[in-house]
Parts: sequence; structure tokens; C-alpha cells
Amino acid sequence: MARIVTITSGKGGVGKTTTTANLGAALALQGHKTVVFDGDIGLRNLDIVMGLESRIVYDAVDVIEGRCKLKQALIRDKRAEKLSLLPTAQSRDKSAISPQQMQQICNELATEFDFVLIDSPAGIEQGFRNSLAPATEVLVVVNPEVSSVRDADRVIGLIESSGKGPAKLVINRLVPMRVKRQEMLSADDIVEILSTEIIGIVPEDESILAASNRGQPVSFAGKSPAAEAYRDIARRMTGETVPIRVPQDGETIWSRIFGGGR
Amino acid sequence: MSRWTKLFSGESTSSAGSAKQRLQFVLVHDRNEIPPGMLELIKDDVIAVISRRIHIDRANVEVHVTHEASEGKLVVDIPLLLSEEPVSGRTTGRTTGRTQTPRA
Repeated sequence: MARIVTITSGKGGVGKTTTTANLGAALALQGHKTVVFDGDIGLRNLDIVMGLESRIVYDAVDVIEGRCKLKQALIRDKRAEKLSLLPTAQSRDKSAISPQQMQQICNELATEFDFVLIDSPAGIEQGFRNSLAPATEVLVVVNPEVSSVRDADRVIGLIESSGKGPAKLVINRLVPMRVKRQEMLSADDIVEILSTEIIGIVPEDESILAASNRGQPVSFAGKSPAAEAYRDIARRMTGETVPIRVPQDGETIWSRIFGGGR
Repeated sequence: MSRWTKLFSGESTSSAGSAKQRLQFVLVHDRNEIPPGMLELIKDDVIAVISRRIHIDRANVEVHVTHEASEGKLVVDIPLLLSEEPVSGRTTGRTTGRTQTPRA
């Protein structure tokens, strides 16, 4: 049974697309047949972040509207044989696909792949609803910043009320030094405020910008802290016990979060 | 915040601390769909209704929302005034504040 994982956040710009690309690469390199599916009709970006933009011929809307077969729209990533991208349409809007049609596409993908990762658009409107509809599990990307945490709380509520919960948190762009100086919410603060389980902490990392500049997600080859964090999350997703670490300072919060007492 | 950082930053509350407090406040309101400003209106209503019957310390009435587990709660704290004077202009019901009542 394939797992359909929607990656969402409420707020834009927190790293949904980067997270989707990197988890996709990491899962594929760890041996799982994975497809990353861009859920952001009209503002597609997963293709360019992954460096596959020049290979798009057909997209998911073409599949829905019968202009091609699903297989023709899938782009196989040459860097990882088990990784594919399903791009979305750039010149259409969110109403081009219904939640039922998202479900249909995902049902078909589920026969081919172990993991379907859906990169949800920002917001809580139809694009988000479409991306949530086929999900068997949901990851919420959150930055240690008030607007992102508030929006995360809102989408966590919506995920719960759609029966898709409980969501898990990916805390992204944490700067350990700033947490230490108490200028930034800590991972513990965010977990406490949102009372939601965490699946990983990705530190702020300069190599992420260079990676998207080049269309070469860090999880493919990089040894940067973010690359390691994404690989760890991928391993946790497949059931491995990998302690959650607060980036750089090396302190484990695993025990505090999962060790009871809360 | 350590004493040293406090000394050099000159701040009493860290910005991360404010972020946490402000988020906890606003999320309780978001989750219960009660805008924070609504509490002022509820407070005025509560004061008007209660003071028809008993003497209360109007200036120190507090109304807030809490959210524990999945249950929201409206908490109203009304200090009573020590007074034997009848509440003016009302003829129905009990009209004096009970001086020994603990806080509501």
C-alpha cells in the first residue's frame, strides 16, 4: 500500500517545495520508489527546484483532461532511478483540478510507487484542499517565527477536521545560535505551542539557496546539515528509529518529546 | 535568559519569550474563534448584568479564554466589593453584595 504524504504549511515561503524535493530524493536514494507531485497549479516550482524544468512535456492537468497518459507526464530523475516528478500546469488555476481528480491521479500513482509526496500550495483554499484530499498522512513545515507558527496551527486544525490527522511537524530554518541567544523560538517551544509530534528539525543552511539555484537538491549528494536532516526525516518516515537532534549543538530532544513526562 | 545576556542586552524578556507568549495568547483565540477584542464587549456585558444584582469591583473584572486539551473555556473573574449598601435603583431580587463570597 503506497503512502501518500502531503507537505503543507499554511504560510508561503517556509520551505514546502524544498522539503518535498529533498525528502523525495532521500527516500528514492534509500530504495523507495517515490514520485513528487507538484500541487501548486499555476505557480509550479517543484520542477525548477529539482532541476527538471526543461524536460516537461505534459503535466497533471493534461492527464486529467485526457491529453496524455499518466506515464507520459511523469519525468524520471536521472540522478536517482527510483525518483519521478509529476509536474503541474503553469498556465491554469486551482479550479482546473477537483479533489476527486487528485484522488484519481494518486490512486493510479499508488500502483506504481511506494511514496507519493504532494507539494501543497500555500494557503487554505482549493489548492490546499486538493492536495489534502488524497493524503494518507500530512507533514506541516513550520519556521521558528510567529506568523508561520500561527498558520501552522490553523492548518493542523483543518487537517484534523478533515480526518487526515494527526499531522507531523518539520521545523525548518532553525538557527541554533539564535535559539541559544533566545532570539528565536526553539523546537521545544514550537512543539509545546502546537502540541503536535515532530518528525525532524532542519537547520538554516546556506547550501539550500545554491542548491535551488542549480536545481540540485542537497539530499542528492550534499553533506550539509540540511541534507543530513532531510535524510534522517526520510529514514524516520520509513520507520527507522533515528533520534531527533537539535541542529549543531548536538543536544537530543528525543527523550523530552517522546520519552513521556508530557 | 542568563544573567550575563540580560546584563548586556538590557532586556527583561527575550524576544523568543515574547513570541511564545503572544502565540499562546493568539492561538487560544484562533482555536475558539473568539477575536480578542470581543472579550472587552463580553466584559462590559458581564459587568452590567452582575452589578444589577450585587456590588462588584468593576475595575478589576477579568475575562479570558483558556484552551486545554480540545476544550475551550471562558473564564470570568469578578472580585466582589465589601459593601452593605443596596445596589441603587433595583427593586427585584437580592440587592446587596455578599461580603463573604469567595471570588467568582
